[in-house]
Amino acid sequence: MVSRRGFLKSGGLALLGVGLLGGIPGFLAEAAASEKIFSPYKKKKTLVCIFQRGAMDGLMAVTPFTDDYLKTARPNLFMSAAKSGTGTPLIDLDGRFGLHPAMKAFEPMFREKRLGIVHGIGSPNNTRSHFDAQDYMESGTPFNKGTSSGWLNRAVGLLGHDALTPFTAVSMTSAMPRSFYGDNPSVAISNLQDFAIQMRGNPTGANMAAKSFEDLYDQTASDLLKQTGKESFEAMKMLQKTNIKNYTPANGADYPNSALGNSLKQIAQLIKMDVGLEVAFAESNGWDTHFNQGTENGIFARNVSDLSNSMMALWTDLGTYQDDVTVMTMTEFGRTVHQNGTGGTDHGRASCNFILGNDVNGGLVYGDVKPLAIENLEDGRDLAVTTDFRSVFSSVADKHLAINNDHILFPDWKGDRVNVMRG
Amino acid sequence: MKKAVKYWCGFVLLLCVFTVFTAFLPGYSAYSDLKFPYKKAGLTSEQAAAHLLSRFTYGATPGEVEEVVKVGPEKWFAAQLDAQMPDDSLNQLLDKYDALKLSNTEVVAQYPKGGQVLRMAVKDGVVNKDSVKTDRKAYRDQLQNYMQQNGLKPEQELLRQFINQKILRAAYSNNQLQEVMTSFWFNHFNVSVVKNDCSQFIPAYERDVIRPNALGKFNDLLLATAKSPAMLYYLDNFSSSGNNDNMQAGNGQVRRRLALQMQNTDTARFANMPKLNKAKKAQGLNENYAREVMELHTLGVDGGYTQQDVTQAARVLTGWSVYPMGAYGNAGQKLMNRIGDDKLQSRGFIHEGDFLFNPNKHDNGEKTVLGHQFAAGGGYDEGVQLLTMLAHQQATAKFISKKLATRFVSDNPPQTLIDKMARTFINKDGDIKQVLITMVDAPEFWSAAAVREKTKSPFELAIGSVRALHADVNQPYQLFNWINKMGEKIYYYQAPTGFPDKGQYWINTGAWLNRMNFGLALASGRIPGIKVDLAALNNHHEPESAQAALTIYSKLILPGRPLDETIKRLTPMLNDPKLMEKVDEASAKTPAATMAQASSNEMMDQQTGLKGKRKNNFTAMQSTAGNNSMLAQVVGVIIGSPEYQRR
Repeated sequence: MVSRRGFLKSGGLALLGVGLLGGIPGFLAEAAASEKIFSPYKKKKTLVCIFQRGAMDGLMAVTPFTDDYLKTARPNLFMSAAKSGTGTPLIDLDGRFGLHPAMKAFEPMFREKRLGIVHGIGSPNNTRSHFDAQDYMESGTPFNKGTSSGWLNRAVGLLGHDALTPFTAVSMTSAMPRSFYGDNPSVAISNLQDFAIQMRGNPTGANMAAKSFEDLYDQTASDLLKQTGKESFEAMKMLQKTNIKNYTPANGADYPNSALGNSLKQIAQLIKMDVGLEVAFAESNGWDTHFNQGTENGIFARNVSDLSNSMMALWTDLGTYQDDVTVMTMTEFGRTVHQNGTGGTDHGRASCNFILGNDVNGGLVYGDVKPLAIENLEDGRDLAVTTDFRSVFSSVADKHLAINNDHILFPDWKGDRVNVMRG
Repeated sequence: MKKAVKYWCGFVLLLCVFTVFTAFLPGYSAYSDLKFPYKKAGLTSEQAAAHLLSRFTYGATPGEVEEVVKVGPEKWFAAQLDAQMPDDSLNQLLDKYDALKLSNTEVVAQYPKGGQVLRMAVKDGVVNKDSVKTDRKAYRDQLQNYMQQNGLKPEQELLRQFINQKILRAAYSNNQLQEVMTSFWFNHFNVSVVKNDCSQFIPAYERDVIRPNALGKFNDLLLATAKSPAMLYYLDNFSSSGNNDNMQAGNGQVRRRLALQMQNTDTARFANMPKLNKAKKAQGLNENYAREVMELHTLGVDGGYTQQDVTQAARVLTGWSVYPMGAYGNAGQKLMNRIGDDKLQSRGFIHEGDFLFNPNKHDNGEKTVLGHQFAAGGGYDEGVQLLTMLAHQQATAKFISKKLATRFVSDNPPQTLIDKMARTFINKDGDIKQVLITMVDAPEFWSAAAVREKTKSPFELAIGSVRALHADVNQPYQLFNWINKMGEKIYYYQAPTGFPDKGQYWINTGAWLNRMNFGLALASGRIPGIKVDLAALNNHHEPESAQAALTIYSKLILPGRPLDETIKRLTPMLNDPKLMEKVDEASAKTPAATMAQASSNEMMDQQTGLKGKRKNNFTAMQSTAGNNSMLAQVVGVIIGSPEYQRR
């Protein structure tokens, strides 16, 4: 097991020593006070990853609208960038690719070159199983199921400093995502307010129970439980409910009332609280559009609208923190070029992803999308994967988090990076 | 000579009668010669019983370990396999859930989806479609009135009853193994409330498809799931149809009209989608079910199939669809009824309950799956053949065996065990009982690497606690809310994989504190509608000291476990000289809330008449509030302790 750094040693409790403590029990305050006082956390860079589970139809999100093959293959799903006609047109990005109109929130960011898009991205492993493809993408090893750790967990180990906090890596999910599996500290929680031992109307009882639990978990023979307990209690001590309740987003940011919107809102809170968040993870569900996926309206439109509006709300909310944050989306694979018999699309190969941030060399659609002719399709049916997801992820990890140890971040990968970031 | 034959025949007859007779005796017959090898593994009979209960029930109830020791673990297990234990008091509790007795057709008629209600109301001229934008409240009231007048109920109520019954069954059924296996297979053949199209059919899916087959033959289970509306909608197969080139040759006017009606039926379910007209015309192959049935239900992802096999299997299964029902399918249903089942059958339709094989949607061409050729014109039968073939593959035997062993033995079950189970699976035609017997009969099941090595899922933690404390569950949905908070929103897991069965999945920091909070809330009676009588657990003997309470209740809640460490760790908390002072002070602050809780519980108790045999001592315990708080605190901490998270 990779050695775990004790939060106490790294100063995780230091900021509790003064002022902030409020409802934190006395014994914890004592423990905190007895620790060496570290300087408060320096602002850190944060990478926010959003996994779009179910496989986003990249060809509908960012459509090569000049492609006649696509038009023929999708008689009911193809959308045009032409302003004439009845429907809302695609947003023409560069004369070849058009952004789905429900993602109009993204347009200014693309024009300001702060949003980059990679098209034809995917995994070299051609599995079309959601589970396997997600597993491979999240472990970062597309041909090795045995990899026990997730790539974002390995990223935490490569941050190059010891001042890890319970909030260095946070997943806003009720269960730990595969990307976070591993020995480096990470936390999964869907609601920050749950970080407390609660006995309604009985704080003394709660404090005593917290102490008992902490002792029990500290001493348990099960390493897994011990570690979980430890991380739980340390996280609890750092958060105060009063800080989280009644949060008002800054700059009039308007988060969609959706799972993703809520996740990103809480990520913004953590970033602004300076609790040391460096790797954040959120999920967006419902992309498996086998049936009637719709065009300018419908399931797909709702999904991309939620995605873009949630991301833009986060961006607006961050305000002066924008320089420190990069947001990257990912999805396990794309969908068939042809629409299926039920107004949807089946499992395909390549999709596209979005990278948002001031470090991003945006305003471009990266990648290599060949004209969609039968001989260019993978297995004669799908948009071919021309960019290995690792060549983008590694570039973002390097330029934003200064992680350049690719052979640990993505073992077995020897490809070249796609430099979607500035510098 | 003749006499000898006669005797011989008589003997054979007698033998047959005897065999048949004993086969129906619960806990007898084929399993009577079992002898589980736990002693060789160094377990006492008490430990063995505790292990068995931890794996095949939702947690031991007080005294249950001793009972299992008394009847013998083998006999207990055999009775669980037979699943014939009387469940009168549970059934009485379930009786009030009227929605759970309904057929799918009745559900569709009585618990329509919101969109459907709106369409009906608009059609009847009760609601103006545009009023939603102008006056939300008036619009909602109109809809509500409309529903009441027409005897319609919201779908949420159906799901609420469904979730409540699952929690009650898990907590109180005497046929615990059947319930555990029902959860296992539901998760294996997962369908999700999140997928709107199938949610209405999920209660009947568990009731008619999963539970009755949970301890039967795998092949039957697979076929039943394949033909159920829940699965047909969840994985889209209802909509999959063949390439027109291979469609059956013309069969007259009626067939075409019917085909059109059927199409309307399917698409009408999603009529709120734009581009309806286009969708109506769109007909074709959908691979979703074909892929998942191989990857997740039978062969496993490494089971040696290709993309080609998926596409071909999807073609085999075209036309497997749902019989039109309720308001949605009115037109199609009327037409079907007029034609009549006999005529339908002569045209190649198969109508079985909610299932409909529609030959007009079936791809009649030749197909090859896993090297097996399906000749052209196979119709419905080739789908059955395909599924039967999948159910009997070596890869399936291994995949299912591994999954069972992962559920019941450890997160990483030994290959030797999986191989043994897979052999039984093949030799006994996928008989799930026999596979389970092979598993429990193996030394691997009892090894140190297995005992206490599983991590309880949130559902198991919550139900286990309720069972361990003999709690009265009057509002099961409150438990569902907690289980959801701890990370396992049952019936809502979106992906067809079902919840992962790995400790690592459940063990994560955020949700973990909620387990501790759950323990404290449950033990201190702060979960509305869940009543815990801690004193009754110890036959109303008040423990002499805090230390005694800790020892007594640890043993009650964690039977057959080594407890020295837990007790040692908790002792300092009890020895705090100011402890009683603190506790009294704390509890003095909240008497009103606690009392209100108690009385509302009593009221609910009287309403439901639940567990009348246990006298209500809750009020009496309030008089010793200090002790009771102390006790609640101790019990809450035990439930939230690391030891209790393991099973």
